[in-house]
Amino acid sequence: MALSRRDLLKISTILAASTAFGSEHSKKDDDIKKSVSSYGVQNAPLPKPKGPRVVIVGGGWSGLAVAKYLKKFSPKTDVVLIEKRSVFISCPLSNLWLVDLIDLQFLTHDYLQASQNNGYIYFNATVYDIDRVSKKVFTNEGVVSYDYLVLAPGIDYDYEEWTKGDVELETKLRGFYPAGFIPGSEHFTLKRKIEEFEEGNFVLTVPGGNYRCLPAPYERASLIAWYMKKEGIKGKVVLIDENPDITIKKDGFSSAFNELYKEYIEYLPGSKITGIDLDKKRVVTDMGDEIDFTDASFYPRIRGSKLLEVAGVAKDSAFNKKEADIDPFTYQSKEDPYIYCAGDVRPMGFSKSGNTANSEGHLVAKIIASIIDGKEFKWDSPITVCYSAVSGEPIRAISVNAKYAYDKKKKAFTFKDASTMENWKGRQGIMSGKGLLEWAKGMYRDMFM
Amino acid sequence: MERRSFFKICAKGTLLIAVSPYFIEGYLKADDGRLFKSFNRVKLLDCYGNPLKEDILQEETTYVFNYPYASTPCFLIKLSEPATKEIRLRDEEGNEYMWKGGVGKDKKVVAYSAICPHQLAHPNPNESFIGYIPKEKKSMAYKKGGVIVCASHLSAFDPKMGAKVLAGPAKEPMASIVLDVDEDGVFWANAVLGPAKFFDYFKSFKPELKEFYKNIRKAKKLVSLGAVVKPLEIYSKEVVIY
Ligand SMILES: Cc1cc2nc3c(=O)[nH]c(=O)nc-3n(C[C@H](O)[C@H](O)[C@H](O)COP(=O)(O)OP(=O)(O)OC[C@H]3O[C@@H](n4cnc5c(N)ncnc54)[C@H](O)[C@@H]3O)c2cc1C
Ligand code: FES
Repeated sequence: MALSRRDLLKISTILAASTAFGSEHSKKDDDIKKSVSSYGVQNAPLPKPKGPRVVIVGGGWSGLAVAKYLKKFSPKTDVVLIEKRSVFISCPLSNLWLVDLIDLQFLTHDYLQASQNNGYIYFNATVYDIDRVSKKVFTNEGVVSYDYLVLAPGIDYDYEEWTKGDVELETKLRGFYPAGFIPGSEHFTLKRKIEEFEEGNFVLTVPGGNYRCLPAPYERASLIAWYMKKEGIKGKVVLIDENPDITIKKDGFSSAFNELYKEYIEYLPGSKITGIDLDKKRVVTDMGDEIDFTDASFYPRIRGSKLLEVAGVAKDSAFNKKEADIDPFTYQSKEDPYIYCAGDVRPMGFSKSGNTANSEGHLVAKIIASIIDGKEFKWDSPITVCYSAVSGEPIRAISVNAKYAYDKKKKAFTFKDASTMENWKGRQGIMSGKGLLEWAKGMYRDMFM
Repeated sequence: MERRSFFKICAKGTLLIAVSPYFIEGYLKADDGRLFKSFNRVKLLDCYGNPLKEDILQEETTYVFNYPYASTPCFLIKLSEPATKEIRLRDEEGNEYMWKGGVGKDKKVVAYSAICPHQLAHPNPNESFIGYIPKEKKSMAYKKGGVIVCASHLSAFDPKMGAKVLAGPAKEPMASIVLDVDEDGVFWANAVLGPAKFFDYFKSFKPELKEFYKNIRKAKKLVSLGAVVKPLEIYSKEVVIY
């Protein structure tokens, strides 16, 4: 699977030969240079690299692992992590925070600590363009040159199916009924909604496609229902699911819905939303249901981060729009041998979870280190270990543990050695609840220590 | 302990470095110190403070003692069958080393640093997510028993084979503790072999170590005379393994 130096040269000649591509980019490059220089921003204030420079865009679950382990596996490599956020907020476990089962401190972490501990540079900036010809990344804080680029920017939302291009509706959905699947203000709004909820229907949705974190919408529904039950709120969660059934850990979630939250969760599987009327606060589905709601959080379909499109390395996958067009074993862009993509932007049908993104980050670090140091590498499956809470006090959880294998006949990845623990009752459920917290602590250690 | 025997022990300790048979020539940078490091030679003690002998160990029970530092837990396990001899293992960076096998009457007794090489889960006085699963039991991490399991992210290690990784995200074996049994049948710990995680552990668990050991200095103190061996269920209030 290793890419030899010769292959690399071959690919770069192809790139140079593609004149249409080259001219288009140099034009764009000129425009950008003009606007950037008019603000007096030129090169980013970074020291000259002392070895090959690898720039990683996105300090999420996958980018943080790539940065740390690349520096570990290839110490001579100059690693720069560009991240637009100044504080890390964890999406995993945020559902527990929404209903006060953990505090915000548990979820927030310090990017500087991660870079101090692991010898790479954390550059707090937003990337808005990438010039693959001159190998430059354009940020609001200046231009950064790279030898290799890793794109790990995560997901964006794709509202198209609901809004059919009505940007007013999209803006309202984003602003007033955020999905809460990209951490930050969306989560704060959602928490406030839950705290202030008095009565009626609280609508949540599960999108189609391979959406970020398969179990999270069901976990969120369970925990909001748990909170309503505990607080004696006269309301229920209406969970509108585009999929024909619960997509993962079905036995665990459906038994929790039935046995714990019969009065508090109305589950509508196989239901596509055909209309959202925000003035009337009403949702219509293709199953003929009309649901009036007091409040809601709409989780639309997802797509690969728009940055991939900007870089010209995106392609519609079998599941979602504009995901990374990469070799599934090397994570190398099919368009550009100097670009790698990791995390939720991958087009393979892996579960889009933090654990998958982290273990993949380790692998991508190994691959790039091997290429830089001229060594061989072996593909290894990412791992999905994913716990979901179904109730609080004490926290009870269910879990799944799986790897992936490539099925040559189907030309697709399938689960390998998969097992689930779906019994949230009794001691086992409580042990898994503890496991959930311990899992997260270990992951944070891996990213920040 | 009287002064003379103390010196004798120290001397034995240093001798071990010189003759260390635990690395495979050509692979291990001898002065690296990472894959083999001798520490104080420490006598293992039972809960009453008596020298630990094999007959009080129950087979397939997870025992814990702190070594080589006051706060770094290790597992001591008497397996149900002899451990395999001379296992070649690799750390994450590909350095090879040799695990010699079990000690005791039937070479069934093994010891490993109980800090998971994945993301450092370990037993503490409150809880443990890591421990040995007896042969006839099974866990979520691995299809068979007779393994050490870390429930944190479901890694499994083979205690018969130098704690090499059987499943899960761990990329290297658990570090092993080099034991010997003296002529009186008493167990001693001498050294750590394999990818020890002490440095990362001290860095990552400052608040926890302060809570349990008052301050980091005390937590980092080298164990010198004896190390008390306790069943995991007593060492940690709660054992969370599934
Ligand atoms: C509510 C919820 C619950 C979840 N629960 C779990 C769980 O229990 N277990 C689990 O394993 N997973 C869980 N997940 C999934 C997990 O969060 C994602 O799969 C994971 O974050 C994906 O990692 P990533 O690195 O691809 O993207 P992210 O973690 O989203 O990181 C992308 C980073 O890129 C940065 N970025 C983007 N664009 C730019 C730019 N232009 N310039 C600079 N920086 C940029 C972003 O700020 C972000 O920090 C959950 C997710 C949610 C939302
Ligand atoms: S810490 Fe042990 S498996 Fe992750």
